[in-house]
Formats: sequence, structure tokens, C-alpha cells
Amino acid sequence: MTPPAAGSRTGLFRTVRKHPAGALKARTVALVGNPNCGKTTLFNALTGLRQRVGNYPGVTVEKKEGRLALQDGIQCTLIDLPGTYSLLASAPDEQIATDILLGRASHTARPDLVVCVVDACNIERSLYLVSQLLDRSVPLVIALNMVDAAERNGITVRLRVLERELGVRVVPTVASKRRGVEELKRVIGQGAGAAGKSRQWRLPEPVQRECDELIGLLDEHHQLKGPDAFDEAAALLATDTADLERMVRYDPVLRDHVRRDHQRLEFLGVDRRSVFVEARYQWIRTLCAEAVSQEPRNGDTLTHRIDRIVTHRVWGIVIFAGIMALLFQSIFTWAALPMAWIHDGFDALSLLLTRIIPPGDLRNLLVRGALGGVAAVVTFLPQIILLFLFIGVLEDSGYMARAAFIMDRVMGRVGLHGKSFIPLLSSFACAIPGIMATRTIENSKDRLATMLVAPLMSCSARLPVYTLLIAAFIPARSVLGIFTAAGLTLLSMYGLGLFAALGMAWLFKKTFLKSSVPVFLMELPEYKIPSIRSVLVQVAERAYSFLHRAGTIILGASILLWFLASYPRMDGALPAERLQHSYAGLAGRFIEPVIRPLGFDWKVGIGLVSSLLQREMFVSTMGTIYNIDNANDEGGQASLRDRMNSDRDPATGLPTFTALTAVCLMVYYVLAMQCLSTVAVMRRETNSWRWPAFQIAYMSALAYGVTFVVYRAGLWLGLGG
Amino acid sequence: MTMTNVQPHTTLANAPLGRAVRITRLHHPRKEIATRLRELGMCENALIRCVLRGNGNMICEVQNMRIGLDNRLAGSIMVTAPEEAGTA
Ligand SMILES: Nc1nc2c(ncn2[C@@H]2O[C@H](COP(=O)(O)OP(=O)(O)OP(=O)(O)O)[C@@H](O)[C@H]2O)c(=O)[nH]1
Ligand SMILES: [Mg+2]
Repeated sequence: MTPPAAGSRTGLFRTVRKHPAGALKARTVALVGNPNCGKTTLFNALTGLRQRVGNYPGVTVEKKEGRLALQDGIQCTLIDLPGTYSLLASAPDEQIATDILLGRASHTARPDLVVCVVDACNIERSLYLVSQLLDRSVPLVIALNMVDAAERNGITVRLRVLERELGVRVVPTVASKRRGVEELKRVIGQGAGAAGKSRQWRLPEPVQRECDELIGLLDEHHQLKGPDAFDEAAALLATDTADLERMVRYDPVLRDHVRRDHQRLEFLGVDRRSVFVEARYQWIRTLCAEAVSQEPRNGDTLTHRIDRIVTHRVWGIVIFAGIMALLFQSIFTWAALPMAWIHDGFDALSLLLTRIIPPGDLRNLLVRGALGGVAAVVTFLPQIILLFLFIGVLEDSGYMARAAFIMDRVMGRVGLHGKSFIPLLSSFACAIPGIMATRTIENSKDRLATMLVAPLMSCSARLPVYTLLIAAFIPARSVLGIFTAAGLTLLSMYGLGLFAALGMAWLFKKTFLKSSVPVFLMELPEYKIPSIRSVLVQVAERAYSFLHRAGTIILGASILLWFLASYPRMDGALPAERLQHSYAGLAGRFIEPVIRPLGFDWKVGIGLVSSLLQREMFVSTMGTIYNIDNANDEGGQASLRDRMNSDRDPATGLPTFTALTAVCLMVYYVLAMQCLSTVAVMRRETNSWRWPAFQIAYMSALAYGVTFVVYRAGLWLGLGG
Repeated sequence: MTMTNVQPHTTLANAPLGRAVRITRLHHPRKEIATRLRELGMCENALIRCVLRGNGNMICEVQNMRIGLDNRLAGSIMVTAPEEAGTA
């Protein structure tokens, strides 16, 4: 048998490319492996960074870099990659990983060393990728991760056998407990990236012969050599004979040859499509028979027992709905107390500032403008924390993949598959990670449809808007004992977002994003107790970024708004009139004719305009303008919601907000785009302005239309008063 | 345990619950999907066990992992009881 590439065997490419001592360029080390095998956990343990981890496939969807300090003071660049099952990528996230591995990415050099993370519970499948890497003579070290879980499952791995058969170092690790991490660093530091033994698996004799001939032809006609030529030959042999006609990039001689190969192999009864994968697995099975032993399992696993309930045809849906209801209810009940503390804290602070700063513009600016706006937003911190805590637990327990499984049927109705549900669920936190998560979807039309509707899912920035309006205008009546009208209203807003997202996805898939029937195929990880540390780290990160926004953008915008709402000065006028004639009031009144049909007046208009780029800004705007508006000079005793509740238009004497306006406003915020960052991410992910522009247009139209209908219906039902 | 009620050749979609069967052939019309199935370990001659059925989809065990797939896809996977596999 002739090797696929002479060079790769003679050792020409085997040695690690070494940089001269003291070279400026640091070595790059890449982490690869199947999805969910613990790459990011290991990356975090090695670099001390805090990238997102979660117990479902497809958490990491982009390349992440970090510094890795090895024991002898050498620094490397460590790259964390999205998971992939093979070097034959089918989804965009896998493409990123394989491009970087094979040195096809323009922005990243080919890594000097690859650490392939192998899930000890799933060695056979992981070795498939390993064998592909070996074939390409990639300098390799194996991190055998999750050995703790393997031990629990009665799996024993003979490391020496693996090392001997693969020809590379194998380091056992438990990334989540940082076990084996130092040893791995040491092995990386030694530059122990041997290229291993390549092509140990054997094709059946006739297939190998055809392969060799084709490699010769590929070299002759297309100057293709080495593993690339082998992969190309394999692909040509596996392809449908009819498709050859269209492969005009190949020389006709070559295509003719392939056609005859197909006939010969068919005559010999060889299944061309499966023979390559099959041959690899054959070798893997033989290897594993020696290297891995597993005690027979008795009885059902815990995961199976949980799945029996959680993915049940009926109970599955009930449990899912229950979890969501619990989430939104707890956001109200559990967050109430800490929210009151924060509110009191800000009150005390504003009182203090009022005491020490003499009356005048400075005091007004600080207390009413800046503090008012920031306080209104920061008060919602406990709710944000709770939301992320919940999402973190769902993500790290293994439930996310089940949610996708349960919702597959529903998603199928709208022309998508269950996998699309994960980006939608992530969008409850924020549309940006949601849109990024669509990279796991193979079909580009399905992916686009999911991206287009992801911002309709209610993100955490809408939460303050909803809860402010709900707390002010929805009575806290209890329903069914455990729920309150407030909790259910919140749930229905999230429900409306989900419903709109599915409806629009259906429409897009029916019209300009038609594609073949989606296929649902997804690995379901074992359940585990969420790691408190990793959940808390993520919650802390989100909380910090929320506070950071409050302290920077929202603070700045509140100060700006204070000026706009206080000038031009109208001495002697009532505060309410002053606001109406200020610049902000002017702007609000300017757009009032447009929003009047939705039941919104100019004051709401100020909020809508200022929150165009960021949704929470609605709350800070209300905080600022109602503070200025407040005739009472002694700090902000009356809470924002009370002030909004009792506010009346000075000209007409009508209340600014009614329960109906509040509902209309919420509906508007459910459906409207109002987020600059989402636009930017859409632009980046679709690589054009077309789709973000379309998204803004359709969402605005939807928001306006639905809010209008709700308002009219509400008036007709006599709810306007 | 007897294998008598496993049809010699049936699809994974109709395979009995909880019993290991052997994959004989994948004939999904889209080649890349058949390839993906194979790479995931659901290749010809692999043992697979359907463990749960959901709404239009099912959970299978291959090697040590659980994989969720829809019934239409499962319908394109031909399986047989392990004894008959020798003749295939
Ligand atoms: N028991 C055990 N769990 C681990 C270990 N390493 C990681 N995990 C858990 O495995 C899950 C997946 O970890 P990630 O680091 O997100 O996996 P990944 O390979 O980056 O996944 P993708 O980015 O989706 O490809 C998390 O819930 C981790 O806490 C380990 O050594 N033992
Ligand atoms: Mg990851």
C-alpha cells in the first residue's frame, strides 16, 4: 500500500516547526475536539480567563485567544475553537475550527501544536477526529478529559496503549477540577507535539488501489499532493456518479477515470459512500478493544431516568412551560426585597447630595439628572442577576439540549428544527449571543431565518422596561395561588416574543428562505449538577457589564437628557410646563403625531426616542424626566412608578399612562428592534447591511402594527380609562 | 431476550425500544447528512439502541452517547437484529 503522502511518512513534516530561540513570534497552541468535551473549561484552566462554558454542544462558536504561561517562563498563544466532529465541516462554527487547524484561515496562522481534547466517556467517536488529525501529520498532544466521569461510568483507559498506538502523548485531565492541567502544561512546554503515526487504518485493497491511482492523477493534473490529495480522492470516490458531470473544475481525463472507478467498485460490491468512514471506525474499534474497557452497566442511568420524564411527549412540554413560569414569577417575588434595598440606598444618597450641595443647577443635574437616570436602571440589577442565574443553571445542567429536543416538533411546524431553539433561548439573555449561536446551524437559510427572528425574543434589556410598567400599572393580584397577575403579564410578554419569533420564522421560511426539510440531529449530553463556580462567574460578568453600562452610557445619556429636559429655561412656569417646552419635550412633541395612534403621548415619545439605541434607556429616561418634573424639592421620595402612575398631561388633564398604555408600550418593546449592538452583530454575521436593514424594517412595522391593533382593541373594550 | 420480533430489515424509526440493533445501510438522499451520521458513529455495522421516543423524534444510544434525531431521519437508517448482520 502506498502512503497518501510520501512526505508525511518519511518524517519530513513530522518535527514540530521550531522557532529560533528568542524569536518574537510566540508559539500558538490550539485546542480542538468534539463539541462539549470540555475544551473551553480546559482553556479557562490553562489561561485563567473566563470564557463561557455550558453542558451542551455548540457553546463556543468563535475563536478565542489567551496567553498561556508555561513553567519555564515561555509564553504561548492558546486558541480555543468551536467543537467539531470531523475535519469535514458542515456548519459555520465547525468551519472556523477546521480552517484554523488546516491553516486555511487568513487571519490566523496554522497552530504550531494542537491539543486534541478527547472525552474519556466517548473515546471511539473522539478518535475519529484524532485519526483525521494524525493523517494530516498535525503536531499533536491528546488531553484525555473527563476521566472522573469515565471512572464513574466504569470506563478504564490504558493510556500507555493509546500512546503507543497513536504515537502521541496522552495526558489525563479533569478540566473542571483543574486536575492534570500542570502536567499538560509541562507536556506542551516540552514541545512534545509529535505528528504521531499517520494512516494506520486500512482501506479494502481495491479501494486503496483506486485511491492511489487518483492521487497520482490529481498530482499530475491539479498539482495536488499529500493529505489534501488523499482527501480529494476519497471525496471523488464517494461522490455520486451523476454529480461528476457538474464538477467542471476537474480535468475531463480525471473525471472519466473516476467514472470508471465507480463502476469497478460497484461491480465489486463496495459501498463507496461508507467505506472511508467505516475503515476508520474499524481501526478505532480494534484499538479501543485493547485500550478501553467498560464494565457492563446494570439498570438505567440517571440521565435516562431524567430523560424519561423531561423529554416525555406530554410532560416534557408541561415541565418546560413550568420552568419558564417559575423563572418569571421568581423574577418578581425573589427580587423584590433587594430591589427595595437598592432603591432605598439611592434615596439616601440623593438626600445626602441634596443636603450638601446648595440648591441650583448643579444639584439638579446631579440629583435629578444623573442619579435619577442611573438609579432607575440599577434598581433592576437583582432581576438581571436572577435571570442569568436561571439561564446559567439551564445551560450547565444539560437541559438546553433537551429543550431543543422537545421543541423540535414545534420548530418543525415553522420550517426550522430543534437546534434553532437554542439560539432563541439564549436570546432571553441577549440577542447577541443568540445570533452568534446560530453558527451551529448547517443550513444557511435556516440560520438566517433564526438570526432574523432572534431579537424578537425578550432579552434582559427589556426586563427593566417590562417590570417598571408592570409594577406601576398591573395589580398584584394572585392567580392560582402561586402566580401573580404581574408574573403572568411578564410571562405573556415573553410568550408574545416567542410567538412572534416563530410566526415570522414561518413566514420567512415559506417565502424567501425556502429550503429542504430540516433534519434534527443532536447529541444530548449527560445531565450533571451545574458547576456553581462557572454559573456564578458568568452571572458576575453579566452583572458587571450591566452596571458598567449604567455607569457609563446611561450616566452620560442621563446628564445629556437632563440638559435637554431643563433648557431652554422657563422661569416661573410649572415644572410640567417647563418639561413640555424644553428641547426634549419639543422632540417628544415632534414625534407625537406618529405615536398618538398607539396611545402614546409626547412624554412617552421622549422615552421611545432616547431608547432607540438601547432599550434600558427608556427606564433611565423616565427616571430623569420624572425627577425633573417632580415639584417636590426634597430628593426622590415618591417612587418612579408612583409618579408615573399619578402623572397627568398639564394641557388635557388626562393621565399620561393607563394600564392600556402600559400594555401597549410593553407590546411595542417586545417587537421593536431598539438595539444598536444587535444591528452591528447582524451586519458582521451576514456580512452585509441588507439583512440588518431588513430586520429593522420588518420589526418596526410589526411593532407599530401590533401595538396599534392592541390599542384599538383595548379602547373598543373600554379599557382606555 | 429473544430477537424474534425484530424484522430482518427495518428502519431505525420502527426499531423496538431498548434493544440494540445493527445499522446495515444509510440511504438519506442528502449525502452530507449520511456522512454526518457516519462520523457521529452511526455508520454501517455500528450497534445502536433506540431508548426513548418523543414527539416525532427519538433518542438513541450509540457507543456511549445519546443522540436525538427526528423520525424522518431515523427512517433513512436501515437496521437489523445483530445476528442477521453477519450475512449482510
Ligand atoms: N465531569 C467533568 N465535567 C467536565 C470536565 N471538563 C468540563 N466539564 C463540563 O463539561 C461541560 C462542557 O464544557 P465546555 O468547556 O463548555 O465544553 P466545550 O468543549 O468547550 O464545548 P463547545 O464549546 O460546545 O464545543 C461543562 O458543563 C463543564 O463543566 C471534566 O473534566 N469532568
Ligand atoms: Mg467551548
